[in-house]
Amino acid sequence: MNSGSSQSRLRSIASTLAVALTLVLAAAAGCDSRKEPDLPSVQEKMRETHIYGQSKLRVGVATNEPLMSELRNGKPVGFDVEIARYIAASLGYEGDQRLEFVPVATEERIPALQGGTVDLVVSSFSITEERKKVVSFAGPYFVTTQEVMVPARLKGKISTIEDLRNPDYKICTSGGSTSEAELGSHQVKALVVKTVGDCVAGIRTGRYDAVSSDETILAGFLARHPKEFEIVDMPFGTSELLGIGVPIGDPALRDLVAFFLQKSYQQGRDDQATPWQTAYNRTLGPWLKAEKRQPQPLEVPKLVDFDDKAPAK
Amino acid sequence: MSAAPTATGGDGPVPPPRTSVPGGAASTIDGTAAASTAVDRPAAGAEGDGAWPAAVPVAEPAEPVVAEVEPGRVRWDPAERRARASQSFWTAVVGVPAIFSVLRLGVEAGGELQTTLLLVANVGPVNLLAGFLTTAARLLSTGLVAVFALGAVLAVSADRLPPGTRRRPLFARWADITPAWVVLASFLLALITWPLLYLPLLLTAFVAAFQLRPGRLHDRVVPRLLLIGALLAGYGWLMLPTLRDAMRQGDEWLVLVLIVVPPLLALFIAGPLPGMVIRPLASVTEVAVLATLIWAAVPVITTPVLPLTVTTVGPESGPTEDVRGHVVTTDDVNMVILQEQGGVRYVPVGLVRAQVLCPSEEELPRHQLRIHDFHVEDSLLEGMGRRVRPVHRIDAACRTPA
Repeated sequence: MNSGSSQSRLRSIASTLAVALTLVLAAAAGCDSRKEPDLPSVQEKMRETHIYGQSKLRVGVATNEPLMSELRNGKPVGFDVEIARYIAASLGYEGDQRLEFVPVATEERIPALQGGTVDLVVSSFSITEERKKVVSFAGPYFVTTQEVMVPARLKGKISTIEDLRNPDYKICTSGGSTSEAELGSHQVKALVVKTVGDCVAGIRTGRYDAVSSDETILAGFLARHPKEFEIVDMPFGTSELLGIGVPIGDPALRDLVAFFLQKSYQQGRDDQATPWQTAYNRTLGPWLKAEKRQPQPLEVPKLVDFDDKAPAK
Repeated sequence: MSAAPTATGGDGPVPPPRTSVPGGAASTIDGTAAASTAVDRPAAGAEGDGAWPAAVPVAEPAEPVVAEVEPGRVRWDPAERRARASQSFWTAVVGVPAIFSVLRLGVEAGGELQTTLLLVANVGPVNLLAGFLTTAARLLSTGLVAVFALGAVLAVSADRLPPGTRRRPLFARWADITPAWVVLASFLLALITWPLLYLPLLLTAFVAAFQLRPGRLHDRVVPRLLLIGALLAGYGWLMLPTLRDAMRQGDEWLVLVLIVVPPLLALFIAGPLPGMVIRPLASVTEVAVLATLIWAAVPVITTPVLPLTVTTVGPESGPTEDVRGHVVTTDDVNMVILQEQGGVRYVPVGLVRAQVLCPSEEELPRHQLRIHDFHVEDSLLEGMGRRVRPVHRIDAACRTPA
């Protein structure tokens, strides 16, 4: 009898505690449901960028890099352009009325960002430590390697870096590019012109003998003149990470661009169709020797977006 | 009126009429009492016809009941009381949403009389009510679940109230008079509308409301413990990936507690409570539930009635403008848009270039956790919906500032 009543007392104390704890938990849950998200949201980041409220987004692109970015009937087309369109649409700028492509040459990319004439640069822009001091990068969105393209007449004659050092051959490259620095580090004397297109035109007129640039850009020119050139696999040994250039004073915009690249990357990981894959298949895909996938973007911030609740699979 | 059937009542056996309480009418209208007596006690002449079977007891006259009723004081029998409670219930079910919906229209219109009138003229009552229920179902079920769970626990403890306590706690009385199907329906509504994260709490509330003590699982202790262990293990298996994720994220301690603790509380919550706790608990929870409902009703009133859209407006070849707001109506001439920042725009239909539906910032999730690919802040209904339409595209126009 005695043990029965003490058991009942214990039970009623446990019940009291359980009711009290449940009420506390319910109150905590109620407060939690009215709380703001801890992580910043895409919209908040948008409000921090310099483009917020701007009627048009200006994206710097090259105009003479076949497959990557070139003018066709006055409109830019290519892999870089498609990536730029995806990023712009994600930022709220969709359609020709809201998106302006600004032609920038290789050496104009950094000044254009610094001078504020463009909001973003998507133009085979390699991420380097040196450049990171003056502009911000989101990406990489592509990994490429340094190659050399020679005309058919020199096929077999230029096949090593040693051959490039031969003063008989005039090697051409675009100014302000990583190729220029790479050639310099291998003691190759190169003639520097404005764009790779100028080099290719120069080779066709006999002014130069070889051009060194990114595999992607060279593949574009090879696609344009398939019978006149050949790409030589040179052991430069470094890979180039192409990124999207953003003004250094706008970290919010850099974060957003990185976030949207990551979104596309994640979709690819989940075997979904991605904007990156579509762009690749329509432009570079058929012309590159090896199949490529979207590289994982670096330094991606965690942001909250409207589609976060969508099922992952 | 009650005299009408009695006038012809002499033809055969008529069941005795239910005594009307308060029965003032029976005693005040002359002749009514006499007529009712005639029916209750068939006349001597009729008896000879054998119309009233001998085995059927004859109803007693209503005099004692009538005599007990004091003038000016009304006494309700339980059936009457139940009927009145049911009436009030349905009045609340229909009335509260109607009032809330009208209040919402006023808030939606930005407090402007003319805009409110425009909305009243164009938003149909069915749409309004459906829109209200979509946003308020969660609040409604929360209120009901809280009342029924607390009511059941207080009711089972009521006999421990200190002597001299006159009335049982309010929630206990409500829980007593509510039919079981209403309680069950409230829990079902909560099950499909509450965020998954809060469903463990619903489990605890369910156990409390239906007084499911562990003793009900099995009579003997060992099988009972085994059954409880198995149930908890199953629950743990279901939640383990989410718990692991929450631990990895570090700052999600509330999620951890909300998932782990309620099932353990469910083992003890059914009561009864000690006598001294009942009265304060009843008073505190009554105030708390009321305050919570008012606090939670504010977002329900301020949730928009109409969907948020961005309409691109402009001539065929010329600059365009994005108008962010809620489309009130469209006719042959104009599209009427209630702008997000306030004010109504009449946009000529010919100038509308495009229109997209946009999510609002209130829908942003607070946690980055899933339970088997269902987001913890989604309800079962929302989660299932996302499975039907898994791809969620945010249109570029939705990103642009208002």
